[in-house]
Order: sequence, then C-alpha cells, then structure tokens
Amino acid sequence: MATTLSTSPISVFPLAKKQSWARSFLNSYLARKVLKTLFTVFVVTTLTFFLVHLLPGNPIEQMVNQLVTVQGISPKDARDQVAALFAIDINQPLYLQYFEYLGKTFRGDLGNSMLSQGTTVSSIILKFLPWTIFSVGIGLLLSFTIGMGLGMLMAYRRDSWIDHVLTVFASIFSSIPDYLIGLMLIVWLGIQWKLVPIGAMRGSLSPGVVPGLNWTFISDAFFHGALPIGTYFITTIGRWMLSMKSSTISTLGEDYVTVARARGLKDSRITTAYVGRNASLPLFTQLAISIGFVVGGSFLIETIFVYQGIGASLGGAIARRDYTLMQGIFLVITLSVVFANFFADLLYSWIDPRIKLGSQS
Amino acid sequence: MSKSNLEWQQDSTQNQKPPLSLQNVYVNYGTRKGNVQAVRGVTLDLYAGESLALIGESGSGKTTLGLSIVRLLASTAKVEPGTIIYRRDQREVDVLKLSTSELRQFRWRDCAMVFQSALNAFNPVLRVWDQVLDTAQAHGWSDRTAVRERFLDLLKFVQLDPTRVINAYPHELSGGMRQRTLLAISLLLEPQILILDEPTTALDILTQRTIIGLLRRLKEEQHFTMIFISHDLAIAAELADRVATMYAGRIVEIGKTYDLFYQPRHPYTLGLIRAVPTVLGGFEELFSIPGSPPDLVNLPSGCKFHPRCSFATDKCKQQEPELEEVGERHFTACWHWQDVEKELELHPIRRGAAKHDALAQTTVEVR
Repeated sequence: MATTLSTSPISVFPLAKKQSWARSFLNSYLARKVLKTLFTVFVVTTLTFFLVHLLPGNPIEQMVNQLVTVQGISPKDARDQVAALFAIDINQPLYLQYFEYLGKTFRGDLGNSMLSQGTTVSSIILKFLPWTIFSVGIGLLLSFTIGMGLGMLMAYRRDSWIDHVLTVFASIFSSIPDYLIGLMLIVWLGIQWKLVPIGAMRGSLSPGVVPGLNWTFISDAFFHGALPIGTYFITTIGRWMLSMKSSTISTLGEDYVTVARARGLKDSRITTAYVGRNASLPLFTQLAISIGFVVGGSFLIETIFVYQGIGASLGGAIARRDYTLMQGIFLVITLSVVFANFFADLLYSWIDPRIKLGSQS
Repeated sequence: MSKSNLEWQQDSTQNQKPPLSLQNVYVNYGTRKGNVQAVRGVTLDLYAGESLALIGESGSGKTTLGLSIVRLLASTAKVEPGTIIYRRDQREVDVLKLSTSELRQFRWRDCAMVFQSALNAFNPVLRVWDQVLDTAQAHGWSDRTAVRERFLDLLKFVQLDPTRVINAYPHELSGGMRQRTLLAISLLLEPQILILDEPTTALDILTQRTIIGLLRRLKEEQHFTMIFISHDLAIAAELADRVATMYAGRIVEIGKTYDLFYQPRHPYTLGLIRAVPTVLGGFEELFSIPGSPPDLVNLPSGCKFHPRCSFATDKCKQQEPELEEVGERHFTACWHWQDVEKELELHPIRRGAAKHDALAQTTVEVR
C-alpha cells in the first residue's frame, strides 16, 4: 500500500492567499458579523430616539403640558425640567438632539427616571436586568438541553408509546401562551394545592440576602426564580422537542449516518457526534430568536410573579408613564435580541464548519 | 491488523472455503402496499481474492443484497430465511446471527462497504481525520500516530494530497475526492471483503477512470476480495472475475466475466449487453429491453422476466426456472437458454460491444 504515485494536489483553498488584508478582513465571518451587529445597534438606537420624539402625542410635549397645567410651572421652566429629565436639550433642532442622544447613549447615559427623581435609567436597568438574564437564561438553557434530549429520544423511539405521549405534551406546552402557564402555576401550585409558598417567593431575593458567591444567595435566587424559570421552561420546551424530533428523524436518514454504522462506530458516538450534532444545528438559530421573544415576554411573566426583573420594571414604567425609563428598557430589550443573534451566529459558525466557507465565496 | 491481505487469501485458499457464502437468502420489506420481495433466494459463494460484479437494473435487488451482507437494511426489512456465512481464519460465523457488538466489529474490519453517493458519506461537521480516527477507535485501534501514518499512505495510494485532505472538512473536497477518501478509509482496517455499491456513479468520466484504475490495482496488486454492485457494465467487464446478473431479486445468470459477456445464456443478460451504446458506433444495433422492471409486490407468475422476454413461451408463464449449469462454472436460470445460444450464433455480439467499447469509457444506465 505504500506505493508512491504522483499526487495531483487539487487546490482546496484557492482564494486564500491572493486577497489583501483589508479584503480578507471584510470577508471574514467574524468581521462581517460584528459590523452587521454594530449597524443594527445603531439603527435600533436611532429608532428608539425617533419613536419617543415622533410618536403622535409627543411624550416630551405632553410632559411639558402636564407640568404647566398641573403644577403651574411656567412653560420655560417646564421645558428645562423635562430637558433635564430626558437628558437632551429640547430647544435645539432635532438633529442636534439626536447627535447628543447618540453620544450620551454611547457612553451609557440614558437620562434620569421621570418618576424616581435623581436615579439614572442606567442604574435601574443595571439593577433589574441581571435577574431577567438569570431567569430567562436558566429557563431557556434547561428547556433547550432537556428538550433536545427528549426530541432525540422521540425520534429514536418513533411510533412507540413514549413518542406519542411526549408529542402530545410537547404540542400542548408549545401552544399555551406563557402568561396562562404562569397564572396556572400560581392558581394550582400556589393556591389550590398549596405546594409552593407563593407569597414568600415574590421578588427576586428574600430581604436581607446579599448577592455573593455563597450557597444562601444562590439557593435563594433559585427559590425566587423558580416559578418564572419554570414558566419559561414549560412554554419553550415543547418547541425544542418537536423541532429536535423532526430534525433528528431527517438526520437519521442521512447517508453519513448509515456509513458511520457501516464503519462499525459505537452507537453512543453516532448518536452524539453524527446524529445529535447535525440535528441540533437548525435549533441554534431558533434559540437566538427565542431569546428575544422570551426577554420581551418577560414583561408579563415577571409582572404575574412579582419578580423584580427588567420586564416588571417595564411594566411599572408603562403603567406610570415613565417615558425615559421605557425608552431605556426598550433599547435594552432590542439590544438583547441583537446580541443574542450575534452570539448565536458565532456559536453556529463554531459548530458548523460549512458556515465559514460562505465567507470565501 | 497484523496480517496482510495476501496472507489472508492464502489461508483461505488452503482451506478451500470461500470467505463469504450466501445460502438461500431472502429479503422482504413490509410496506403499506404489501410485502416487497427484494431478494428471493440468493445462493452465492465469494472466493478469496475474487472480484464479483452484481449487475442489473435499478430495483433488481443488488443494493439490498449488498446491504444485507453488512446488515444495514432499513428496519422494515426482514432477512429470512437464509444464512450468510462469513469465514476468516478458523472463524466461521453466520452474519445474520451476530450480536450487536459482534456485528459492529464485523463491519468495516471484516467487511467494508463503500457506498453509492460518497458525496454525503461524510459527517459535514467533522474533519476527515476525526472521522478516520473514529473508525479506528471503534475497532480498538487507538494509536493515533500509527493510524495517521497508515491513512496518509492510503491517501497517497488513492492519489490525493494527503496533508490537505486529512485536515479538510468534507465540504472542502470535490465529489471525486470524497469518493477516493472513502475508498481510502475503507482500506484502513484491511478488511477481508470490500463491497462497492456503484463506486463510479455520479462521477465524471475521467474521475471514473481514476477510481477504476485504483480498484484494478486493489484487485491485481492487493488481491482484495470484492463485490461490485453496478448497473455500469463497463466496470463489471473491466474489474470482475465473475459476473452475476440479478433480476427481480434473483440471480438469473452467473459466470466468468468473459463467458457472461460473450456467451450470455439468459435473455436478460443479452438484453443488457445489447443496450450498451458505443461511443463511435452507430445506433443500428442498439437495443432496449421492452417494458419495465416488475412490481416487487405483485411479481408475475413463472419466470419473472417472461413479460419482457422475446423467447417466452407458456412454460415460462407457469414455472420459474432454477439455475442450471450451461458451461464451466456458468449457470443460467432460463428454460430457453439453448435458444439464446442459437440466437447468438445467428447474431453474434459485435466484438467489443460489451468490453472494448466499454473500455472506451462508455457508461450507460440501463433502464
């Protein structure tokens, strides 16, 4: 077998060498994704600004009018006060306001809350956002991994009783709206069966517990987060199961799975590296979209469970017409979707080598 | 891994027992329409160092037979009755009775199957090297350096640039490169038997040449025991020692390559040979078998070929012929093989129609 023959090297990467540095940078997957993400962030920021300013019933003018009529301040003072709140000079032309807003946003200055005087919007967001990230993150991570596992099980045991039972549950879970699941958890678990102390679980931490890397804090965080996490888990797991099932079934029919069997590979290796890895690829894109929806949907869930995350803050801001806070939270929610997509893209390119090829053509 | 293929072959010749014996193998698929009889009673011995070609139309049961040897049929398929005896050294096993782990060991190490459409034969998210290592490790060979060296040699043998291919992802390789890479992987564990299912289909004619050249070297230099499954008569003519024609799940004719192509005794084999076009020859002699392959759920009575056969008589409609010896190691299942012989005396196969023009790189899919 060691006979040497004239090898015919067929160029595998024909384009790799000739490109200039700048072109290859622009063509690289990461660079394109970063640029795209930055552009999206810019658009989102701009839209948030103009939404507040151009909506019918301009909130700034309304605020000024309110101050004038209710508190009897002179229009000029009212305008100054409002300008201070929004952290923009409303006497300037719109485009200058816009640039000032962009600059401030870039530095993380989102203005002050209109109702809690003296607190910045950024500090409110920083205080509440981690809880939403924690609950949504854990909920989705659990439902994603467990859902994928169950989906594969359903595909491998197709048409068995376990498949039928799980399919029914998955369909039910994925079709009930999240806020109904939340209400059902409260009504059944908390009130009718009294399985969980609903009252004690309110809020994101028990009084007196200080954040830190200790068991008291972590267990308390999970105790308070259990119901929102459970709701995110239940509402999203059905979709993962069904997607993974269909994806696994089609992967099982692929030639490379048959060839892997013919090569005598162990079933465990085929299930993980050959079937599982390929079947899960489309789910990662869905995960990114899902993160956006769940963060946006946390508005209702956190309100239902009185969980102090960014969603509940948004609920409060809307109820009390705290426009600056709303503007800040909208921005954060949209950015979370943008960044979730960015990381999903990176993850995708890492698990699917074919994506990188796209950058060369 | 210690013995070379040649030594295996010598062992087998001393024992005079073929490494693979199929006895009366039936394969049925349960479908909604009914029972699909894909293979119906195939008995076949594959001798050490021999290369056997299975030819026939699509749906004649060639691939099903190949897959049943490595037991990779779909779960709806049933292989019974029948035995598939495999022999290596003093070991003799019925492949159909192997346990899951024994079967796993048998696959690739004893009997490797190179599949049709190598385009999708590789896991798209793993590098070629990872898949090679997977294969070696699955059979308890975990010395990475040794595996790597062995595989680099094999890549050289299949005329690929070893260092490039080994680190490439499958999508970075062309179809012909993937086919050759798969061929290289199939040789990794020095299997005793190599089954090649349509090894050149879907490749351009020059790449086909390369593959055929490689297989020829495997046969002539390494004395591999091989089964080719192909509807391309050119490959069969060029690479096989013996050829078996399959029709409706049965072997209807089997014999040495020369005999089968120049003195076919079954009307179906004759039809297949006459349907091969020549590159420069006119079309006057070109001939197609009328009708289409039989419905495997509702097979015709008697000889399954009778509705399409110009020699058919009432006897053919009632009784199915068994294989009958018509020459030295040449068997045919036809009531009228003598008529075929007479027909051939009147209209001999134009010399070269099957073989030499086939060598001139003609590929035809007989339908």
